[in-house]
Amino acid sequence: MTKNIVKTTCKSCHGGCGVLVTVEDGVITHIEGNPDTPTRGTMCSKGLSSIQHINHPDRLLYPLKRAGKRGEGKWERISWDKALDIIETKMKDSIARYGASSIAVSQGTGRGYNEYTHRFARSIGTANIITPGYVCHSPRLGLYGLVTGNGRLYCDYHGWGGEYPKTSISWAKQLEISSADSEMAVWFLESLKHVKNLIVIDPRETALSSRATLWLQIRPGTDAALALAMINVIINEGLWDKEFVDKWTYGFDKLKERVQEYTPERAAKITWLKADDIVKAARLFAIDTPGCIQFGSSLERQANCGQTLRAVICLLGVTGNIERPGSMMSWMPPASGLREDFFTEIPITDEMRKGIVGAGDFRMGAARTAHSDSVIKQLLKGDSIIKVWFSVGGQQIIHLANTTEVIKGLNNVEFLIHADQFMGPMAEIADIVLPAAHWLEIDDIYDMHPRFMIEAHNKVVDPPGEAWQDSKIFNEIGKRVAPQYWFENVEKMLDYQLRKANITWKQFSEMGFLARMGKDQIYYKYKTDFWRKGGGFPTPTGKMELYSTVLEKLGYDPLPYFREPGESPYSTPELAKEYPLILSTGYRQPFYFLSQYRNIPWLRSFQQDPTMQIHPDTARKYGIEDGDWAWIESPRGKIKQRARLFPGIHPGVVMATANCFYPEDPGPLHGLTRSNPNVLTSNNHFDPMYGSPDLTALLCKVSRAPDGD
Amino acid sequence: MRWGMVVNLSKCVRCYACIAACRIEHFLPMGVSWPRLVALETGIERPTVSNYSVRCNHCKNAPCVSVCPTGATFQRNDGIIMIDQNKCVGCRYCVIACPYQNRTFVSKDKDRGFFPGRIQTDFEKAGKKRYPHQVGTTEKCNFCVERIDEGTKQGLTPGKDRDATPACVNTCPARALTFGNLDDPDSEISKLIRENEGFQLHPEYDTDPSIYFIDRGIGSNQALRKSEDTRQESIATGGSK
Amino acid sequence: MATMQVHEWMINYTRQTEWIDRRGLFLWLAFYAGGLGGGLYLVSLYFNSLWGMLFGWLIITGIKGSAHLIFLGKPLRAWRIVFRPHSSWLSRGIIFVLSFALFGAIQMALTRWAPGSTAEIVFKVLAGAAAFAVSIYTGFVLNSVKAVPFWNSMLLPILFILCGVLGGFGLSVVIALNGGDVNLAAAEAGTRWLLVINALLIGIYLWRAANRETTGKKSVLEQIQGNLAPFFWIGIVALGIIVPLGIALVSHLAGEVSASLILTGVTCEIIGGLTLRYCVLKAGAYKPLVARPR
Ligand SMILES: Nc1nc2c(c(=O)[nH]1)N[C@H]1C(S)=C(S)[C@@H](COP(=O)(O)OP(=O)(O)OC[C@H]3O[C@@H](n4cnc5c(=O)[nH]c(N)nc54)[C@H](O)[C@@H]3O)O[C@H]1N2
Ligand SMILES: Nc1nc2c(c(=O)[nH]1)N[C@H]1C(S)=C(S)[C@@H](COP(=O)(O)OP(=O)(O)OC[C@H]3O[C@@H](n4cnc5c(=O)[nH]c(N)nc54)[C@H](O)[C@@H]3O)O[C@H]1N2
Ligand code: SF4
Ligand code: SF4
Ligand code: SF4
Ligand code: SF4
Ligand code: SF4
Ligand SMILES: [Mo]
Repeated sequence: MTKNIVKTTCKSCHGGCGVLVTVEDGVITHIEGNPDTPTRGTMCSKGLSSIQHINHPDRLLYPLKRAGKRGEGKWERISWDKALDIIETKMKDSIARYGASSIAVSQGTGRGYNEYTHRFARSIGTANIITPGYVCHSPRLGLYGLVTGNGRLYCDYHGWGGEYPKTSISWAKQLEISSADSEMAVWFLESLKHVKNLIVIDPRETALSSRATLWLQIRPGTDAALALAMINVIINEGLWDKEFVDKWTYGFDKLKERVQEYTPERAAKITWLKADDIVKAARLFAIDTPGCIQFGSSLERQANCGQTLRAVICLLGVTGNIERPGSMMSWMPPASGLREDFFTEIPITDEMRKGIVGAGDFRMGAARTAHSDSVIKQLLKGDSIIKVWFSVGGQQIIHLANTTEVIKGLNNVEFLIHADQFMGPMAEIADIVLPAAHWLEIDDIYDMHPRFMIEAHNKVVDPPGEAWQDSKIFNEIGKRVAPQYWFENVEKMLDYQLRKANITWKQFSEMGFLARMGKDQIYYKYKTDFWRKGGGFPTPTGKMELYSTVLEKLGYDPLPYFREPGESPYSTPELAKEYPLILSTGYRQPFYFLSQYRNIPWLRSFQQDPTMQIHPDTARKYGIEDGDWAWIESPRGKIKQRARLFPGIHPGVVMATANCFYPEDPGPLHGLTRSNPNVLTSNNHFDPMYGSPDLTALLCKVSRAPDGD
Repeated sequence: MRWGMVVNLSKCVRCYACIAACRIEHFLPMGVSWPRLVALETGIERPTVSNYSVRCNHCKNAPCVSVCPTGATFQRNDGIIMIDQNKCVGCRYCVIACPYQNRTFVSKDKDRGFFPGRIQTDFEKAGKKRYPHQVGTTEKCNFCVERIDEGTKQGLTPGKDRDATPACVNTCPARALTFGNLDDPDSEISKLIRENEGFQLHPEYDTDPSIYFIDRGIGSNQALRKSEDTRQESIATGGSK
Repeated sequence: MATMQVHEWMINYTRQTEWIDRRGLFLWLAFYAGGLGGGLYLVSLYFNSLWGMLFGWLIITGIKGSAHLIFLGKPLRAWRIVFRPHSSWLSRGIIFVLSFALFGAIQMALTRWAPGSTAEIVFKVLAGAAAFAVSIYTGFVLNSVKAVPFWNSMLLPILFILCGVLGGFGLSVVIALNGGDVNLAAAEAGTRWLLVINALLIGIYLWRAANRETTGKKSVLEQIQGNLAPFFWIGIVALGIIVPLGIALVSHLAGEVSASLILTGVTCEIIGGLTLRYCVLKAGAYKPLVARPR
């Protein structure tokens, strides 16, 4: 018997946990966290259940070519060579006939292959990259960049500067179960040992909010009003960080003027909070510093997301919670440098920029990537710029707003290639399906957002059938379409990515991870020459811009403001008569990752059906009991989810599980319209900067759905 | 020596990792779960969310031991309640008698495999050899006795050294689970229980469980806030091998 | 109702399932057969009915014994149960069954071939005690489960044995009707009394259970208006009490009714007894694992 233990890295979510896998005679017999990594040997149920993922009987094994009508489910097995030939021809044809922008490259949420998606697109000359970024993390990065000049701010949960956050705000976030963007739950949870105040801002109660210092049960979509009112209190009570504001910020007076409109009383009306609680939150955050704010992407899945985030970032600014130990940090990358370099080294040309779908409308969001909803609208109208769509992971068909239109639109794509591990809805409607490998089956470099480390995925077992790892798929197609940018093989490509650290992939693979932690991190960068000689932030004014000169130039309001969601009892009172409840979606489940893992028996055992939370009083009004199937309706359609009667949610709000389909249901849709909240969401009302739709704040009505309906 | 566990309710975030870890550690049949998670958010009028990660309490006065008509269920000197799978007749009296419902009778339908009627995965095949489960007998959490015994043999301390500590405790990202010796007043768990008003489930049953729960608010721990140690913090339940 | 998920378990009303659902049905049969067989044997002792004793013996050794054996997950290991009387009522129960099988067989042989001997009397006492124990022990088995308030009552063993004796009287009536060695009038009178007592006892039992605990109350509600209501009202109340009582009353007043009607009454009693055990097992639910937050 041979037995060995392989060190690798999990990315069953956004990822990052260090993992030890025991292999006996070629079979994985055990998997657990690696104690000698920054996640300290912990793992969650999703990563552990990979054991049921890799051997899954439904894994895609071979490249497939559509044999019947689109979506009919008839496939012909083809060789990789044939598949690559077809893809190469299609792409080259399309480039020749319509220009490179006619090719879209898409991915789902970040799963460690982002760098390849972007590099591939740029290498072939298109910037029509379709990602869920505009509802997930990108607005945050863009606005941090705008205000502070550096696009990455993360909570300092680590104490590397000698201090932990004293006041920690969890704002529209469930980091504790989502480890979103690779800010790992375990770091956040460990830091709670050290906090004085935990403030949770969420329309629903959680285990943490039950025990927090303060829980603000906010009306979805109104967070900007809360943030502005908190700044109002902080400024009017003289609690702002005078030294930081005087020396290092720009536009304080204008901000001061702006926030006068947002008195706690007015904000209380907007947000359904108590004015006293708003004042209390403001004081805690301003007095008990350092503090940090854990942003949730629920804030980014709203049509006012740009200004909401601006407001929250200003709140960080006036309290001086930037770059100080225990506050918000922009971490220094390890010696290998920022992995973005792997694609930013191929710049976006003017021509590429011109070809971006939605570029004219959303000047912040659609500057480097396409605006997904505009792509769908074009496809619907029949004047689509996009002809060939190369999709690697990601279920746009599920995750974009207004599913009915999305399905129609996607069916109009001339040629769709999808790489995935399973035959999900997106694969079902493709022309070519490519089998992708699981993280236990790949050699790759991993990093997600906080960027202070990179980790190694080390192949533990071979992929099933002829599945390839994504990096290889990109490299092989890249070699055919844009050979100058691609590599002889994956190992060479990995070596290249590590060159700045002066190590090879082989060496790195043994190291497991490379991080800049502890004393190697630099705090207070703006006080040094780090960003700019004599100190300051890398912005046009050299200051942290509470008043944004860049936005001003782009024609947006340079100061944050609150705007009602596209649909709400106040912005559309007529509509609210028929649809009296506020619907929020998101509500990540600890054991699922968006639409994934409902086909993993262990994980499915934790919750059979998509579940919505509703207040018992509200439920009673509509005759719904705990465990009933309930209809949720909006002007766009209706879905059903199981009702969980939960007194911890606001009686006026319903919270539905997002992104779900039923893998066991027949294709091509696999029941994706049955329970997916995007059947309800609207693609008509967008954030002016990022084009983000209101996915987490809209109107709905509910009723009891008879069983088995 | 009496092994015990503390479950910190103000930390558990309902990630289900403890359950998955146990399923892997013991190659549990698909329909069996030794630990369970009781999420108190259902059908309750007061909005306090609590997640109870529960498993066999290894009761000092265990009803499951006293009812077992075959002696298959017994208590070790270190307090661990064990089932001798080769003695159990599957009468399920212990299943009925455990007031905490922590026992599972492994019937055929609970062992139909991960993908019934389709394939048996390599992991399952390996499990059949390495950790066979007997249909027709009763099972429950064994406090990862294999790890404890193997670990202590090597001179390790359960609760401190990862290799001697239960799998669920090791994996918990919230560090909500702590393992240790209840008889040692200086052990981490004894301190946790003392300092946080630890409580047992249903003390009125007079079973004296070895698992305690604590539930404190989050925050106000100023004393802990300063971090002298700016290196990467040492690994909580282990350390490098 | 939604299928129960891992995390919903033990929060709300959580029934025990092992001893009634699926293969658990055999245990139910076994438990009832024990009560009935024991009851019949005791009644037969009173009437000195060899037929009755034989049937009682057969019910216990045949139905009770084999149903229990089939129920076990590992029947071949059943012998292990026998040697641990100090452990639990289950072990003791099996010992009762085995001793009854032995004493009963000797006693019947003696009654047949050596009636009136001292030995016969000794073995009648021994077998009678064993029969009594067989029919009552299942009550103690359930009663000892602290976390199921519905069972945790001293009335349960009494109810179980009376129910067994009632069934015993019913079966003796059948034996009498078939020309057996039983006094029909006395058997009918016994049935009548026991029916009334049983009905009262069931009432008191439910009333006490309902007042003991929220969970106990839920168990009771489950019987009278929940999923078990059809079983309760039709099986226990109508078939188990009202119909036989009606027939018994008519027979008492009229002095004479048709044999088929009496048989109907006895059948109903047995169905009633079976349903009573079924409901008691099925409605046994645990107290929630954790007290609700303050
Ligand atoms: N209403 C509503 N809509 C939402 C949201 C919401 O909260 N509410 N959330 C939004 C957000 S934030 C996001 S990020 C999106 C998420 O949307 P997606 O990222 O599209 O999420 P999934 O549905 O999980 O699709 C991921 C797909 O990628 C495949 N996959 C996973 N790993 C790999 C891999 O390594 N390689 C390859 N090739 N494939 C892989 C999976 O099998 C699956 O089919 O949804 C957005 N849509
Ligand atoms: N286990 C697991 N982990 C995941 C995912 C998953 O599906 N499962 N998805 C991954 C992805 S792609 C992402 S983007 C992240 C998302 O991770 P999070 O940002 O943590 O996502 P959510 O759980 O959708 O939303 C967080 C909270 O926002 C609240 N909320 C909803 N609307 C509003 C609002 O208008 N205002 C406020 N203040 N709060 C609101 C919800 O009640 C919820 O508790 O998680 C990632 N990690
Ligand atoms: S938190 Fe993410 S990276 Fe860690 S084990 Fe879970 S799925 Fe894997
Ligand atoms: S919890 Fe139940 S199974 Fe565990 S020792 Fe106590 S009574 Fe026995
Ligand atoms: S099922 Fe097995 S362990 Fe449980 S009481 Fe019966 S013999 Fe003992
Ligand atoms: S202690 Fe071990 S056996 Fe018990 S629940 Fe935890 S992992 Fe499972
Ligand atoms: S692993 Fe820890 S946090 Fe996760 S459910 Fe179990 S006890 Fe709770
Ligand atoms: Mo996301």
